[in-house]
Amino acid sequence: MNVIVLLAVILFALMVIVGGKQGVRSFLSLFLNFGVLFVTIFLMTNPKNSPIILTFIACTIISCISLFYINKTNSKTITAFISTMVTIVVLLLFITFITDKSMIQGFGEESTEEISIFSLYIGVNFVQIGASVIIMSTIGAIMDVAISIATSMHEIFYRNPSISRKKLYTAGLSIGRDILGTDTNTLFFAFFGGYLSLLIWFKDLSYSIGEIVNSKVFSAEMTTILCAGIGIALIIPIASSINAYYLILTREKTEKLS
Amino acid sequence: MTFNLFMELLHPKNVTLQVTIQSSRLEVIYLTLLKNISFKQGIFYALLALCCGLSIVFVHHNEQFYDRPIAEITQVAVTESESMTDMYENEDYLFTQEITAIIKNGQHKGQSIYLTNDYSSSGAFDQEYHVGNEIFVTIDDRATQSALTGTILDLKRDQTMVIIAWIFIFTLLIIGKRQGLFSIISLGVNAVILSFALDLYVKHGSVSLLVVSDICALLFTIISLLLISGLNTKTYVAIVSTLLGTVIALIISSIVMWLTGENGLRYEEMQFLTRPYRTVFMAGLFIGSLGAVMDVSITMASSIFALYEQDPTISVKALKSSGHEIGKDIMGTITSILFFAYLCGSIPMIILYLKNSSTLGLTLSLNLSLELARALAGGIGVVLTIPISQYTAIFFINRKRVQE
Repeated sequence: MNVIVLLAVILFALMVIVGGKQGVRSFLSLFLNFGVLFVTIFLMTNPKNSPIILTFIACTIISCISLFYINKTNSKTITAFISTMVTIVVLLLFITFITDKSMIQGFGEESTEEISIFSLYIGVNFVQIGASVIIMSTIGAIMDVAISIATSMHEIFYRNPSISRKKLYTAGLSIGRDILGTDTNTLFFAFFGGYLSLLIWFKDLSYSIGEIVNSKVFSAEMTTILCAGIGIALIIPIASSINAYYLILTREKTEKLS
Repeated sequence: MTFNLFMELLHPKNVTLQVTIQSSRLEVIYLTLLKNISFKQGIFYALLALCCGLSIVFVHHNEQFYDRPIAEITQVAVTESESMTDMYENEDYLFTQEITAIIKNGQHKGQSIYLTNDYSSSGAFDQEYHVGNEIFVTIDDRATQSALTGTILDLKRDQTMVIIAWIFIFTLLIIGKRQGLFSIISLGVNAVILSFALDLYVKHGSVSLLVVSDICALLFTIISLLLISGLNTKTYVAIVSTLLGTVIALIISSIVMWLTGENGLRYEEMQFLTRPYRTVFMAGLFIGSLGAVMDVSITMASSIFALYEQDPTISVKALKSSGHEIGKDIMGTITSILFFAYLCGSIPMIILYLKNSSTLGLTLSLNLSLELARALAGGIGVVLTIPISQYTAIFFINRKRVQE
């Protein structure tokens, strides 16, 4: 029996026991997301496709699956979707600029041995792929913040329909701040866990701080962690203002009608 | 002390409120205080901006602190370019750059050095350099004094890294205020603890990595959760359920690995390590799932406690069912955060394998097996923590009721 199959079966069983029907849907969406990721990687191997545009399309599909399939289509998920997409565009521009500047694309020294048997001149744009990796690593957390803010702001609006746009916006910000801590934490530790072997390798070779900071692998790790944090923070004002704008707009429309 | 000061600075409302009540001339005092505090806050941000400026100036002039020679590129000319096709029909372009640079440190400081750089348009293991880039070089011994030659080692990346770090700090502080500051502190403190613990492990061979990561996990959980939600019962509930959840998830994954004889796990990507792969993998799995499990337990604990505080007479049954609903909602999103964080890191390697005509099965099992196992084990931890934190929270609430 394969470790991964067995673990997946256990996860599925637990999700069904704890979450019932919604558990099944959560597991299915993991599966679908994996499929989208996989197709994206496959399309990236064609040098004619721009990895950045592919990433953008993949992010759109992934957010559609996670938002509209799990939570059904309604005004909450639509505003969450718009805020996710806006944040991703902003982040994509920023990260492409950063990866280009710091030249963290491709492979570091730790994989020299592994890649030595391969032809490295494969025509795909590794700078853009580097940017895609960072964006795709964060998309889960960005969507999480977007949907949480949208849900809570809708709730506040329905309980207090005469609330001003400014107050609604501030309420959204404070909800976002509460999630900021836990979500950045989730990502930080996930990355710490994933990079543990690299960190041990650095310690084993007793690299100096200067060597570590300037090495490609470490810079790439740091950039991923920091950009993840920036992404989670950025979506808070974006989602708050989009939700506030949308909710007030619908109120003004109904007022005009009546 | 300094920590309290930070809190005060970022939380002006508390201070102003207390003082205004005591005063007879409310408005005047309020206004002056507001000025004072925004002044204090101003000082805080000004200091931060000063640090930012100083550190950026520092990394642009810190060449003398490096042992390796550093050169700044002053002139670049592409001398050759050719298209090439490799044995798998992949097309790429190769370029050769002639680079003139000035040495910035060491005994040859101020002298010009002539370098060549080969790069491809895909840039998997090479890069194009531009005028103004600072690079690490080795200087050839035999060179005459007038014309130094050498080879390029790598780009000096600290300048960009410092700028990204400051963008991160300012974004989190401006948007997140107090919570943003706490996230930064949490990241910093946890990174220092991890680095220190790994030093301990690497230098003393007798210390087991699992013991080290156990202690780390304990510290990480306590520090992060205290920073997120402060000293209160909620936090204790979250700490207890996080530890229980991760440990049970770790035990389940160990049992699975033992039952299957680790069939399907390929440790090749950890080849560069000279240490036992399995322990390193397990330790990574443990630490990696910690954040997600913390996220679940603090969310569950705060919502159940919020329900209890709204209505202290609420029945255990109602608490249970609301907890259940919240758990169902967050389960999917948190597992997918973990999935994306783990799996996406392998994208470049998978592309390299596929473009080198490796079979799909081999490519995926070599590059994704460990990441998938990590993500699934983390997911198991997340789902398990939902009932665990639910019952722990209810247990603490019951105890509180009995005490009262």
